[in-house]
Amino acid sequence: MQGLRDEQNNDAIAAQKRLLFSLAESLRLPLLQVARQAELAQLSKRPKPILKNIELTADASLRLLDSYLLSLQLAHDPKTPLSQVSVATILDKTAGELQKQAGLYNCNVQIKISGRYEPVLVHPEALQSALVSLGLVFIEAQQPVGKQKPTIQLAAHRNNAGGIVAGIFSDADNLSSAMFHRAKQLYGKSRHPLSQMLSTSGAGVFIADSLLANMSTHLRVAHHHKRAGLAATLLSSRQLELV
Amino acid sequence: MANVLLLEPDAILGCTYERALQTAGHVVRWCRTAQEALYDIDRSSVDLVITELQLALHNGIEFLYEFRSYHEWKHIPVVVLSSVSPDHTAIGRSLWEHLKISAYHYKPTTRLSDLIDSLIPLLEPARA
Repeated sequence: MQGLRDEQNNDAIAAQKRLLFSLAESLRLPLLQVARQAELAQLSKRPKPILKNIELTADASLRLLDSYLLSLQLAHDPKTPLSQVSVATILDKTAGELQKQAGLYNCNVQIKISGRYEPVLVHPEALQSALVSLGLVFIEAQQPVGKQKPTIQLAAHRNNAGGIVAGIFSDADNLSSAMFHRAKQLYGKSRHPLSQMLSTSGAGVFIADSLLANMSTHLRVAHHHKRAGLAATLLSSRQLELV
Repeated sequence: MANVLLLEPDAILGCTYERALQTAGHVVRWCRTAQEALYDIDRSSVDLVITELQLALHNGIEFLYEFRSYHEWKHIPVVVLSSVSPDHTAIGRSLWEHLKISAYHYKPTTRLSDLIDSLIPLLEPARA
């Protein structure tokens, strides 16, 4: 029994190391962006817009760090407090958080919710952090098509089993279950495990997955009206069915 | 002044490098993927290519192999500007020479001014 606990602890430590490596790789990009933009601002006659971009870049990095720290905290806290929240509210708050970063990358953020849903039983802060971390990766991965601005969608729909699927979707057609499965095996070991989608480590995806794991769910490839994305299935709160 | 093709996947870094190169007097065409870069070079000539190695879909090495396979592009100088340290790439001396990489800059330690200054000797033969 002790041996099994030790093995589980070792697995947990290994997983945390991989997540930390992925996070460190991911943070290289925004720090590089800040350094080079700061240098450009010194050469520019109009530094204010560049300084604003530096501020947004730093904000996004701090948000990613906060999400990572929350995932660590929840992993070590066996009694994760859950509460009933509206998926629409969480998606709305997430979209609000992502707007500035989307502006920086010249990308649109939309909310698409098919129907009305009962509240779900989750850790609200963890769910929102997961969706924000995921959204930041999707925004970074977007490529303009001609002159058209790319769009990411924060969407929810009900699956065949009655669960509520909520996640981030985009027009990119290079996201597949096989690719995501491979990425989950490679993160923390490879520099860019989501190589078909992203040129960087995409730590936000794996931090989101870690946060969702504390709520007994996980990210998987899903589709919302022909758009592919990453989403989690959330179970509705049965308590409110009695009302 | 030269026609520079910049292959940089990140929107913010790409915009930053593009503006710095333009300030130095170059005409810059910025592409985010290897495929886009090949299409671009096919349409208009370039005097120099600056490329990241760590790209989505096809990586910078694959791009350079394809790029160098065309006779008319064999003489165009290539500068690697990458977030991957040269010690961590698979580029050995023979591959370096085969792909005719003129310089390798590691992004974290290469300032904009360093990049711009490094292009001058590479463009001088073209100007002559």
